[in-house]
Amino acid sequence: MIYTANIHSYNREKRVIIMMRKQTMSEILSQLQQEARFSANIVRWETIPAREARTVSFPDTLDSRIRETLEKRGITSLYTHQATAYEAVRSGKHIVAVTPTASGKSMCYHLPILQTLTEDPQARALYLFPTKALAQDQKSELLELIGEMGLPIKSETYDGDTPANIRQMVRKAGNIVITNPDMLHSAILPHHTKWVSFFEHLKFIVIDELHTYRGVFGSHVANVIRRLKRICKFYGSKPQFICTSATIANPRELAEHLTEEPMQLVDNNGAPTGVKHFIFYNPPVVNPQLNIRRSATLEARDITERFLLNGIQTILFARSRVRVEILLTYLQELIKRKLGPKTIQGYRGGYLPSQRRAIEKGLRDGEIIGVVSTNALELGVDIGQLQVCVITGYPGSVASTWQQAGRAGRRQGESAVILVGSSSPLDQYVIQHPEYFLERSPETARINPDNLIILVDHLKCAAYELPFSEGETFGNAEIVEILEFLTEEQILHFSKNKWFWMNDSFPAHNISLRSASQENVVIVDITERGEEKVIGEMDRFSSLTLLHEEAIYLHQGRQYQVEKLDYEEKKAFVREVQVDYYTDANLAVSLKVLEQDERRMSQETEFGYGEVSVHAMATIFKKIKFETHENIGSGPIHLPEEELHTNAAWISFPEALMASLGKEQLERGLAGLSHVLRHVAPLKVMCDPQDLHVVPQRKAIHTGQPSIFFYDRYPGGIGLSEQVYKEMEMILSQAEHLIASCSCHSGCPSCVGAAEDDGGEKEMALTLLRVAQGGNMHVS
Amino acid sequence: MSLKNKLQRFKEQGHLSQESTKKIVPSPQILHEDKWKQLQAKPYTVDGEHIVLRELCFPLHTRHGHYRFEQLFEVMEAWAEAGMTHPLSTADRMPRDLLFFDTETTGLHGGTGNTIFLLGYSRFMDDHVVVRQHFLPAPEVELVLYQSFLDYIHDAKDLVTYNGKAFDWPQVKTRHTLLRDSIAALPVFGHVDLLHGARRLWKHELPSCRLSIVEKEKLGIHRESDVPGAMAPMLYFEYMQQKDPQIMEGILEHNEKDVLSLITLYIHMSKLVLSREQQMSSIDERFEIARWHEALGADAHALDHYRVIVRSGDRRKVHAMAAMGHIYKKQKCWEKAVAAWEYAMKESAHVPEEIYVETAKIYEHQYKDYEKALHYTQRAMEVWRKKSTLLRYPAKSEWNAYQKRIDRLQKRLNK
Repeated sequence: MIYTANIHSYNREKRVIIMMRKQTMSEILSQLQQEARFSANIVRWETIPAREARTVSFPDTLDSRIRETLEKRGITSLYTHQATAYEAVRSGKHIVAVTPTASGKSMCYHLPILQTLTEDPQARALYLFPTKALAQDQKSELLELIGEMGLPIKSETYDGDTPANIRQMVRKAGNIVITNPDMLHSAILPHHTKWVSFFEHLKFIVIDELHTYRGVFGSHVANVIRRLKRICKFYGSKPQFICTSATIANPRELAEHLTEEPMQLVDNNGAPTGVKHFIFYNPPVVNPQLNIRRSATLEARDITERFLLNGIQTILFARSRVRVEILLTYLQELIKRKLGPKTIQGYRGGYLPSQRRAIEKGLRDGEIIGVVSTNALELGVDIGQLQVCVITGYPGSVASTWQQAGRAGRRQGESAVILVGSSSPLDQYVIQHPEYFLERSPETARINPDNLIILVDHLKCAAYELPFSEGETFGNAEIVEILEFLTEEQILHFSKNKWFWMNDSFPAHNISLRSASQENVVIVDITERGEEKVIGEMDRFSSLTLLHEEAIYLHQGRQYQVEKLDYEEKKAFVREVQVDYYTDANLAVSLKVLEQDERRMSQETEFGYGEVSVHAMATIFKKIKFETHENIGSGPIHLPEEELHTNAAWISFPEALMASLGKEQLERGLAGLSHVLRHVAPLKVMCDPQDLHVVPQRKAIHTGQPSIFFYDRYPGGIGLSEQVYKEMEMILSQAEHLIASCSCHSGCPSCVGAAEDDGGEKEMALTLLRVAQGGNMHVS
Repeated sequence: MSLKNKLQRFKEQGHLSQESTKKIVPSPQILHEDKWKQLQAKPYTVDGEHIVLRELCFPLHTRHGHYRFEQLFEVMEAWAEAGMTHPLSTADRMPRDLLFFDTETTGLHGGTGNTIFLLGYSRFMDDHVVVRQHFLPAPEVELVLYQSFLDYIHDAKDLVTYNGKAFDWPQVKTRHTLLRDSIAALPVFGHVDLLHGARRLWKHELPSCRLSIVEKEKLGIHRESDVPGAMAPMLYFEYMQQKDPQIMEGILEHNEKDVLSLITLYIHMSKLVLSREQQMSSIDERFEIARWHEALGADAHALDHYRVIVRSGDRRKVHAMAAMGHIYKKQKCWEKAVAAWEYAMKESAHVPEEIYVETAKIYEHQYKDYEKALHYTQRAMEVWRKKSTLLRYPAKSEWNAYQKRIDRLQKRLNK
């Protein structure tokens, strides 16, 4: 395609690119390989070869209408994993299928279910997707399939957007009901008597994107499933579970934990893949003394821009919402003149559903060529073919990196993934040891359905749905003591061997599956008088550091300043502004041990695990200039303290360290080591670094010893710190390896954090690590 | 730390979702037959399990508000004679077929866990009206509650309720579903929900259509020291702990008044709809009744009521004429429609612009009188313009529609 022959000088790095025509992707890739400025920073260029398909012929039992429809679509056989899933489900087993993005995973459940429906038109199936967007997406696919087959199967989504007249039809006659766990929790289960024939004939429960049900959300959903199974039992059905998951280390364990049923694992992937280039890119060092590299954000922006200008659909991932908005602002500015601002869009959690759907559609239609996203798009929303995926900073886990990488070339053909390392310790470790990433098995996903707070919440809902009888179980949970507590609280009433709901509330309305705090802060745009509107929402804890007064809140590339945060009413009032900085806030945390459950010694150092209470308070914020990232001002934050009662693991160093190292050195060492552990520990337990906090204390309140705490950022804990306690030795040795292999002199942002005029952080941190691993405290 | 201590701590920190509760000291005693007797109630026992049944009888000539109960007979006869299809009609029913029905529950939201603890109704017997209330003294005897209810009401035909279509009856079905394996099916009832009609008649007039307000403003019923229905859950929870029947007295009386008021309300609303007498209803009510008939497609009845308004000379006669015009137009009585509308235009300067547009359409398409059509279109546009200046953003599309019509008519005139 001929581009108008205007010569556009493009000047940031004094380079001039003459754009005569749009380049193809292979041309850009080979250019990047040859261009010295770029190729010097490539740590590894891994080409993952194409893979041939492995197929089996259609099973004999398959209904001819299904077979013919597939044949009309040019499908004459099944991939091996699809065939295995089909046979396993037909023989009555619960299964979990694990294959990569774009491998035809949904056929693993569509096929056996549609087959059953040809035999038994009364049968029902429940499809659960983690988001409404995914449910919509699957509905269109399914309706198309059913339409072509000419089967009298009714399939419909049931969510907040379903019109009232359709709802009744879905309840009474829907064969396949597509919904999300939140809807199941608050609208279906509490009204199960309106779904009698659905529950009586329920044969299958599909849980797609199983890997997203981890941590707090997963623990909630496990309890929703306990409630679902209880209702099914009441109506006399015993449905089979069909789960599908992206690659994680323990799909079978997670599925069994979530459903409390034995699972067969299906992982013999037979789908073909195209050639994929996986490029590890480390930005150049700009300050050799301090080992500071050029910002990953800026590098990622430049790389992405190249592809976008050539009309190649590219997705750019950033770790935080703020990063997404910053990158969006940069790129829209650059691209505006050539492609129009709407061709590049942001996509993240805080947007309203209608906005998100418009973006998803734009991507599919090709009206949008670039997307800047947080991990919201990790989920399998079908956005069509993207050729390039640029990841700003290591996403924190092997599993989510592959998920994000799967966004490029999911429908075969050549594609490229470029991982741009940031200065964080973890990024530098991964980017300098690509084999660590490429050879490592992905992480383990954990849930804790018996977290007391979550369990109590769902026991209330369950009691509302049906009275509990004495001796009745609720999954594998211990419930008698909780039922007695709720009876004492006069929420339940015990009479004739049964616990009855005896309260005027509707418990599911008070319980959200998605967020630790019960209520989110609503963000209100007050720029135009009389035209105030809600533009987004945020959980309460995040609002402490992102929506304090004077904070710059970014939304769809626009900047807003927070004028007032009404913490009581959960409202933040923002006004649109144009400034050249963003804000970053500090959170002060104090912590005390309430009860110690576990302990073990490593020479003089003790590892502990138990219950703690954490007090967190936002203290000050800084204004940071775009481009240069310099600090141009700061101010205090006046918000109440948040209290959290949770679980923690900790390292207690011998008190003697204080005397031998000195107060200041010790403090620096603890801070430096915490900086590393903050990045290493989440790796071991597969969680977002936001979910597991690391706090150093020179003198812990319960022992007076120098300590480092790891705590779960959810009331009652969700099992993360327990895992840290179990794997403490492994975590410490990995931290030591990371610090030792960093090329800096005495500490840098990539290991123990920015060193202040050679404060000895690096050396101190290594000393502490040796002590913690039972070694000698003396500095060599 | 023990589990209960932990729960206590979480509760103090506000991590547990909150239900409001009022602490009450429980009492072990279960049945107080003597105290129930004072409330005119007694146990009703099935297979050794009992619920409480309260029964009260009222002579037919008892007055409740503006009417005596026996006036139900007149209105039911009137319905039979009227021979019209109307949601309030009980034309082919006998008085004892009707169940004036209301429940009291442990919560205000619909949902499986919301328990009905009182099923109350009034019903006409041969020589009296009976109020019967089935009360649930403990949650485990719910089966007996519904068995006793079915025993008494299986031969009724219609429910008469206030918001029973959206709330009470679905809730009965919900709780019945939980017992469905042990109990007979619920009868299929006809259902007259008086709330729908009350909203039609008094939505603009009354601050709210709550039954207590309708009673006071329309039925001449004044409750003294009534326990509000919203208190029902709290009082019932208190009863659950203490088992003292006295606690329920206020709610039983409240429900009793409710089911009796339903009779009065049914008589009153039927009379409003059926009567052509001037003094029976206010002009506003009559206007709403006419619109109700119109919505039901009963044009003749609607016209009757509109005519009464026109004859009254009230200011609403303009609206009545305009409405009559619409009915005539629907019946393709062009002349009558135009007459009605031109009358309305003459009487009032504030006729909505659509009346001008409709009149213009008839002149254009039926009479081919383009001059008159143009005249009325221009007047419509004037009215619209005046109105639009009050709006910030007049709709461009509406303006275009007027302009298009005017252009077309002018073209036809110039031919």
